[in-house]
Amino acid sequence: MRFVRSARTRLVIASAFLGFVSIAMMLGLVYWTANRAIEAETRNVVDAELKGLAESYSNLGVLGLARTIDRRISSSEEPDAIYVLTDRYGQTIAGNLGAWPPIVKPGSGWVEIELIRTDTDQTVPISAASISLRNGERLLVGRDASAKKRFAAALGQSVAAALIVAIVVSFIIGWLLTRMVFNRVGELSNTATEIMSGDLTHRMPMREGGDEFDRLALTLNKMLSRIELLVSNLRMTTDSLSHDLRSPLTRLRGHIEVLATTGLTDEERTNYSDRAVEEIDYILRVFTDLTEIARAEAGIGRADFEAIDLATVAKGVADFYGPVAADKGITIRVDGDVALALGNRALLSQAMSNLLENALRYAPVDSVIEVLTETKGSESILAVSDHGEGIPHSDQDRVLQPFVTLDPSRSGGSTGLGLALVAAVARLHGGAITLQDNAPGVTARLTLPTDAMKS
Amino acid sequence: MRRILIVEDDEETRNYVKRGFSDEGYSVQVADNGRDGLYLATDGSFDAIVLDRMLPELDGLSVLKSLRAAGVKTPVLLLTAVSAVDERVKGLRYGADDYLVKPFSLQELLARLEALLRRPQEQATISELSCQDLEMDLIRRSVKRGERPIELTQREFQILEFFLRRKNRVVTRSMLLEGVWGYHFDPQTNVVDVHVSKLRKQIDGADETPLLRTVRGAGYMLQDD
Repeated sequence: MRFVRSARTRLVIASAFLGFVSIAMMLGLVYWTANRAIEAETRNVVDAELKGLAESYSNLGVLGLARTIDRRISSSEEPDAIYVLTDRYGQTIAGNLGAWPPIVKPGSGWVEIELIRTDTDQTVPISAASISLRNGERLLVGRDASAKKRFAAALGQSVAAALIVAIVVSFIIGWLLTRMVFNRVGELSNTATEIMSGDLTHRMPMREGGDEFDRLALTLNKMLSRIELLVSNLRMTTDSLSHDLRSPLTRLRGHIEVLATTGLTDEERTNYSDRAVEEIDYILRVFTDLTEIARAEAGIGRADFEAIDLATVAKGVADFYGPVAADKGITIRVDGDVALALGNRALLSQAMSNLLENALRYAPVDSVIEVLTETKGSESILAVSDHGEGIPHSDQDRVLQPFVTLDPSRSGGSTGLGLALVAAVARLHGGAITLQDNAPGVTARLTLPTDAMKS
Repeated sequence: MRRILIVEDDEETRNYVKRGFSDEGYSVQVADNGRDGLYLATDGSFDAIVLDRMLPELDGLSVLKSLRAAGVKTPVLLLTAVSAVDERVKGLRYGADDYLVKPFSLQELLARLEALLRRPQEQATISELSCQDLEMDLIRRSVKRGERPIELTQREFQILEFFLRRKNRVVTRSMLLEGVWGYHFDPQTNVVDVHVSKLRKQIDGADETPLLRTVRGAGYMLQDD
């Protein structure tokens, strides 16, 4: 059944049932306690009366007792009182019952029977106790229980009425409670539906309170922001990729078409085929870089993590680029303190190489590029600083994205993916890359956590 | 004549590679799927195997694994479409001797395969290397051209040693990058060329016969005889 399967219906029923059961238990206890109290009271009175009458028998004899009984019956103080006094042969001497009830044996304790009262001629329920007297007479004292029964019935009725009210109230409370919960869930669900239909800018509604639902909404919103960022990055990457590949592919096509024409000199032919190969190499570099970025983002490469001193990596790469820098009149100065981290050596070497290539691209002639490694607190740092024109503040985050190059005239051979790959490698290692003003120039700072080393 | 086995499913690539090796004087046999490739390779009569990673029937890594498990030690060069570093490591772990990412230049493939074939001699312990009148003393770490002593940095020495051990063979830029520096990425600038030209200035004087030749579209060659 669809109706019962809905979580909301189940919750209403469950809470109503719980409310009902607890109220029913309470009322039941009241009913039982009240009846017991009345019963106990009756027994105390009857016991006391039996004792009193037995005393009159001892003092006044059987006739005195009969007179006492008659007097009690005729007085209107206790209209519910029942008495029977018989002689040893069962012959009634006094009382307001026709005869000794045959099922009652004297001294057998408390009994509940139905008998005809001679004074009112009505069949009534009686609670009674009896004793045998010294000369074989028998005495029974009881109470007409019909009043008690009526009270019990009335009490039962009011308890039942209260229970019906309880059912209704429980249902209403259950419904209100679930409505409160489900309204919030409904809001979240509706927003999620809107987001699913394609609008990633939507956010979950939040209220002032900061309750569990708000915390859930907050978490969902954070997740949505992350997804939105990834999707927009992906969109931008695809757009830029198609642009970035179309240009070299167009040039490549041009070169091949020229090669297909007749009448080229050997020199021209060599020139065009060289340029065609250059275009292909560029396209391949874009592919390779994108693959590396995607793999790093996906966490592939963690399996090869080992203890690495960033200083060694930095010195190696700086040494590798030394002659290129020298050709441009640039000095690479390495100031390498031990900076240990867990990492993928190949990827970190490539990241360092990308940072250095970037610095070399923008550093002016006869300047110094500083490479610094150090450990600060729980971070290992690798910083590459140049003294070029620098990056405007507003662009410092943007250049970390794929295909963003600020100065196309200087991008010669660059795929625009170098820093994006460094950023991806940093994230793979649980670290980060930041670009800062070096006044003039840029400091690219790669920070990796060292705490992974200890575990 | 050296015998080469090429296991590659793409017909055009296979023919292009086959022609390249035949032109260089190799005897070439081909297979277009992993099962045939494994069958042919198991008899161990080849000097080297060029194995594609993605193959029908049985993929390249499985072929490689089975070969090595069967005790066949023929050098294997793995061709792959995946350039990532960890994939390279995986290939080598399975027993490949070298690894080349598609698309590759034929020159690069030829140079690398040649290097694989000559590998054993390379391992031999020798204390001196030479090329024409260029001599390298590996123990005293000194180099001289005829009577002219040459002062080399440690890095230049390493590069020259790399060339000397492969003289008369093409050495590509990526072979240098991997062999001398241990890097597997492709630098966006011509770093390797700058290193080589620095070395060349040292060993090839103005009035001397040039030894270190540039091979167009491939790399370099240190020429003896």
